[in-house]
Amino acid sequence: MEDERSFLDICGGPLTLRRRYYSSYCREFGLSSARLSLRSVTAVTCTVWLVAYGLFTLFENSMILSSAIFITILGLLGYLHFVKIDQETLLIIDSLGIQMTSSYASGKESTTFIEMDKVKDVIVNEAIYMKVIYYLCILLKDPVKPHEISQVVPVFQSTKPRLDCLIEVYRSCQEILARQKATSASP
Amino acid sequence: MVENSLTPLPERAIYGFVLFLSSQFGFRLFLVWAFVPESWLNSLGLTFWPQKYWAVALPVYLLIAVLMGYTTMLKNQEQKNHQEDAIPALRDIPISEVNKMFFLEAKELYTQNCV
Repeated sequence: MEDERSFLDICGGPLTLRRRYYSSYCREFGLSSARLSLRSVTAVTCTVWLVAYGLFTLFENSMILSSAIFITILGLLGYLHFVKIDQETLLIIDSLGIQMTSSYASGKESTTFIEMDKVKDVIVNEAIYMKVIYYLCILLKDPVKPHEISQVVPVFQSTKPRLDCLIEVYRSCQEILARQKATSASP
Repeated sequence: MVENSLTPLPERAIYGFVLFLSSQFGFRLFLVWAFVPESWLNSLGLTFWPQKYWAVALPVYLLIAVLMGYTTMLKNQEQKNHQEDAIPALRDIPISEVNKMFFLEAKELYTQNCV
C-alpha cells in the first residue's frame, strides 16, 4: 500500500512524504525535498561570473576568469555530491531494526542501520532555537542496561519536516514498536 | 577511623584513663565550687568564678532540655507515619510518556492543548 502527501518544512519549502506499508511489520517513510532549481543555479553562477569579470577589468589578468569557471563547476559538483540531500527514507522492520537512508542529488546514498535490540523508543522531541522546532529522534539503549538511554539519533535532519508530518511518522512507528514490545514481552 | 572494632588497644586504655581522670577532677571541682562559701575561696585567692546561681541553674536546664527532647521526638515519630497523602517529590516525566500523551491518545486533545 502506498500513500503520498505533501507537507511543509520548517523554512516553508514543499516536502513530499511517501509512505509504503510493505506488510504489517515493515514500513518505509520517504521524505523528498524540492530539487535544485535552475533559477538558483543561474543566479549563483551569474553573480560569481559578474564578480570575476569586474575583477578582470580591474586587474587585466585572464586567470581570474578561468579560475571563476573552475570554481563554479567544482562548487556545483561538490554541492550536489556532499550537501544537497534530495530524499531521506526511514525503514522500520519489526524485530530487525531501523534503517535511515539519505540520497544526495548526485546519486550518492548513505545508509545507517540500527538493530532493534538497541532501539528503546522513537519520539518527537523539541528543540528551542529562535522558535520551537520539533524533530523525530530514535532513543538508543545499551542492551546491558536496558533502562538507561545511551544515545539520541535525530532523523530527517536535512529535510526538517514540521510537526504534522512528524506526528504521522510517529504514529506509524509507535504501532510497530508496540507490536514489537508485545511480542518480545511474551516469549 | 579505618575500622570500628572493639579490640582493646594500648592507645584506647590511655584514652580511657585520661577521660576517667578528667571526669573525676571536673566533678570534684564542681562540688567544691558549689558548696564552699565565697569568702573561703576569696581568702585562698581564687576570685574569678561564675556566680553560684549557675550551680543550680545549669543542671536544671540540662534536665528540662532532655525531657523536652523526649516529648518532641516521640510526637514527631507519630507524625511521620501519617504522610501518605503528602505532596510527592519533584521528578521528571519520561519523554516517551509525554509523547504518548500528546500524540497518540487523541488528535483532538492535542489541537485543543496547543490552541
